[in-house]
Amino acid sequence: MSEPNRSRRQFLTTALTLPIATTSLSGCGRSGGRKIVLRFRNGFTGPDGRTMLRMVQRFNAANPDIEVLMQRMDWATYYNKLFVSGLGGRAPEVFVLQTHAVPRFARARFVRGIDDLTAVPNGLPVADLDSNVFEAVHIGDRHYGVPIDLWPLGMYYNRQLFREAGVVDERGQAKPPTDADGFLDAASKITRRGSGGQTDRWGFVFTNFESNVYTLMLQFGGRFFTPDYSRCVLNDPNNIAALQFGVDLIHRYKVAPPPENYDAWIGFRQGKIGMAFEGIYMLADLQKQKDLDFAGAPVPVLGTEAAVWSGSHNLCLRGDLEGKHLEAAWRFVRFVSDNSLDWAEGGQVPVRRSLRRTPRFETMAVQAQFARQIPYVHYLPRLPFIFEFQTEFGLAVEKALRKRATPSESLAVAESNINRIIERERNAGNPVGEMPV
Amino acid sequence: MNYRRRAGYLAYLFALPFLLLFTTFVILPLIYGLVLGFFRWDMLSPNPARFVALENFREAFADAYFWRALMATVRFVVLAVPLTIVLALSLAVGLNRVPRRRQAFYRAAYYLPTVITISVTGILWRWFYNSEFGLFNASLAPFGIKIPWITDPNWAMPSLVLMTLWWTVGGPMVALLAGLQNISPAYFEAAALDGATGWQSFRSITLPLLRPVLVFVLVLNVIGGFQVFGQVYMITRGGPELSTRTLVQYIYETAFNNYRMGYAAALSWLLFLVIGFFSVIQFRMMRER
Repeated sequence: MSEPNRSRRQFLTTALTLPIATTSLSGCGRSGGRKIVLRFRNGFTGPDGRTMLRMVQRFNAANPDIEVLMQRMDWATYYNKLFVSGLGGRAPEVFVLQTHAVPRFARARFVRGIDDLTAVPNGLPVADLDSNVFEAVHIGDRHYGVPIDLWPLGMYYNRQLFREAGVVDERGQAKPPTDADGFLDAASKITRRGSGGQTDRWGFVFTNFESNVYTLMLQFGGRFFTPDYSRCVLNDPNNIAALQFGVDLIHRYKVAPPPENYDAWIGFRQGKIGMAFEGIYMLADLQKQKDLDFAGAPVPVLGTEAAVWSGSHNLCLRGDLEGKHLEAAWRFVRFVSDNSLDWAEGGQVPVRRSLRRTPRFETMAVQAQFARQIPYVHYLPRLPFIFEFQTEFGLAVEKALRKRATPSESLAVAESNINRIIERERNAGNPVGEMPV
Repeated sequence: MNYRRRAGYLAYLFALPFLLLFTTFVILPLIYGLVLGFFRWDMLSPNPARFVALENFREAFADAYFWRALMATVRFVVLAVPLTIVLALSLAVGLNRVPRRRQAFYRAAYYLPTVITISVTGILWRWFYNSEFGLFNASLAPFGIKIPWITDPNWAMPSLVLMTLWWTVGGPMVALLAGLQNISPAYFEAAALDGATGWQSFRSITLPLLRPVLVFVLVLNVIGGFQVFGQVYMITRGGPELSTRTLVQYIYETAFNNYRMGYAAALSWLLFLVIGFFSVIQFRMMRER
């Protein structure tokens, strides 16, 4: 009849046929091959996601009986969906957990232990994994995932600013500091006041003060909990000293701007910052910046011992996986682990020692520098209420760095709040210390 | 009669898709949320959900972070709502004097930010606000002014309000402009003949006749203000020092970071009561006179 009428009919036809068309495209229609379909979910939304997708395609091509379907979304959304799908019994067969998230998912029994799979002859060569990294997913009497990488905090430094400030070795090359004296010396030489009297160049910046101060506390020999996690001991004298050092960088030595949180990173990219402690995952961001002359080095030892905060991605299996799906999923996990050097191209450090000894890894300059810290990496505390801990910790650090409380005052408040959370969990019958198995 | 009844059924038939969706995605979750508020259900816990009566509500009243979040929310509403309405009204009155042909352009221009998603706006403004390297402070630097926009607990909330103004003023402005254009020019002509000044006719003609639209805009803005989330989530994540952690942000964290579903449901109902309280007052205002 009339024009709108026809277009409406067209719309209806399209709307009705579209879902049918997409289902047949997605492969559900091809029942003849009887492939084992594995759903694989992760939070790799950056360039790392494209790297992982290429690995999945290679695996699918090499294993015609298995089809891995990868889905990715940002980490926060990802964890929520994973949790909800786990509750409904529809969790994906294979998924990625960051090490700090493993205890919560293990306690909710969403993750399968993998020790029976590694124990068989020709199983995954666990001896090739860095033992402290693998130990981080060891809860109770089981390991709950296969770590494929780690992202230690490392130092990025601007070589041009180092040369201009005269912080150089005998050949005139920028010389990254390795201890507290060298660090303070470099930072104060680089810090410079501009024409308006305001500082326009800083030696150092807190880009993420939680990871930075956590690392400082580890280096000063601080403790966070009693070994059985029954009590928080954040207000430890060593932690206070570490936090005071951070406060002094801003307010006493004046080599770092007041807390800017994350966006201070832009300052480093703009070439106005000498040094920053950030994760390896920021590398891709810097490599895009062609005019920035930067390099990576281990975080200098600013306290009494070498230590840095780190995280890892772990490949995990659904709690109730068995039979041929388990076999297929494990084949995929092994493939990713064996090929984690490809994964490193996306800006990660592989945790298979044999892979790090290859010439190819040596050419990844920043990764290789950051990898030197592996023997002394530390993970976040093993807590089911890790987010609440991070909130309290962040608040305490922030207040101190802004000089709105002394380190001791702010840490005392956080400590008592965290102890109240432990109390709350205990009263509700939730185990806080070692996880049940 | 017969025709009428049939038309009645037909009306329900047309409403049915909406009713189904509304029931499934609004009514049922609401009821579920209400029930959940009386349970202790920690998704992380190996223990199953357990009925705890009013325990969650008791915890909320004793929870310093709840009160802090409520106060942050109230601070946002008190700052943002009056400013939005005054600005929207000024813009609408000004635009109303622009010849109709050119109005469309300005209307679209002021409305445009509202169309941009909060994730884009949020990232953009976070860069503007960066106190060391952002656009705003770079522009102020020649005058020797440096404002800690989102890094100082006292500045962060006003900064969020400023960004919200830019982002949301278009909606109320369009509504108010439509309201203004419904006022017959005859009133203004008569007032002008009687020698009324611009301010007098604004106070005695524009404002009273605009009242229904104004109250409508006010109610929507207050409700929206109490639910503020996107700006906070994108720009400050509740910081610095939790000064901008509003109720919805706190509820979100409780439910989806800490997985304490029962407690989060209880907090949501408390927020609902707060919003309901203010909405009733405002609708009363609308009914008067």
